[in-house]
Amino acid sequence: MNTDYLDPINSLNMPEMADMTFAMDFLIRAKEGVRNLSIALTETASPDVRALLRHHLMQGIALHQEITELMIRKKWFHPYELNEQYQLDQLSAKNTVMIGQMNLFPDDTSRKGMFDRTPDEHMGGHNA
Amino acid sequence: MNTPTLAPHESMELHEALNFKTLCLAKSKLMQGLVFDQELKALMQKDVILSTQQIAELQAFYARAPFQAPVPNSPTPITQ
Repeated sequence: MNTDYLDPINSLNMPEMADMTFAMDFLIRAKEGVRNLSIALTETASPDVRALLRHHLMQGIALHQEITELMIRKKWFHPYELNEQYQLDQLSAKNTVMIGQMNLFPDDTSRKGMFDRTPDEHMGGHNA
Repeated sequence: MNTPTLAPHESMELHEALNFKTLCLAKSKLMQGLVFDQELKALMQKDVILSTQQIAELQAFYARAPFQAPVPNSPTPITQ
């Protein structure tokens, strides 16, 4: 497994793979929003709250459809060609596990020096 | 009063819906700086506009929660 993030082989098809990941996150968020709102609707009683949640649910369903259609058109999502989808699933899992094993941020990432005060100063900064 | 206080369980649903929307807005906004595909970016921007509007609507209803309190002007240090 390749753990060298400077290896140029990693930039092969990188934009497409990155976009596919971002689109998948976007799709899952839209889907989760629809599910959350459906559940919320069955827990509410006030008519005006129900009307609002219902309205947001309809907007969420419409957005989910738009993302799905875009992803199908871009060939990032294959709901009808399950062999294709299986290959994509396995490849993105494999690639992401590989990225997970790279040491991408070896230095101190606190960046606290860039700010005039630290939000957790009262707790002893990064030692909190 | 024409805007009655919400029940606790309704308030909790609004709390969850509002926080979920807020996180989605942050993600759709930040990820626009990372995507390569301009159509995907445009759809994320659409989500930013829609989410901003939905957040405002949720906030208006959440103000009727039984535990509502005056919101201080930002930025407020998160202390205690």
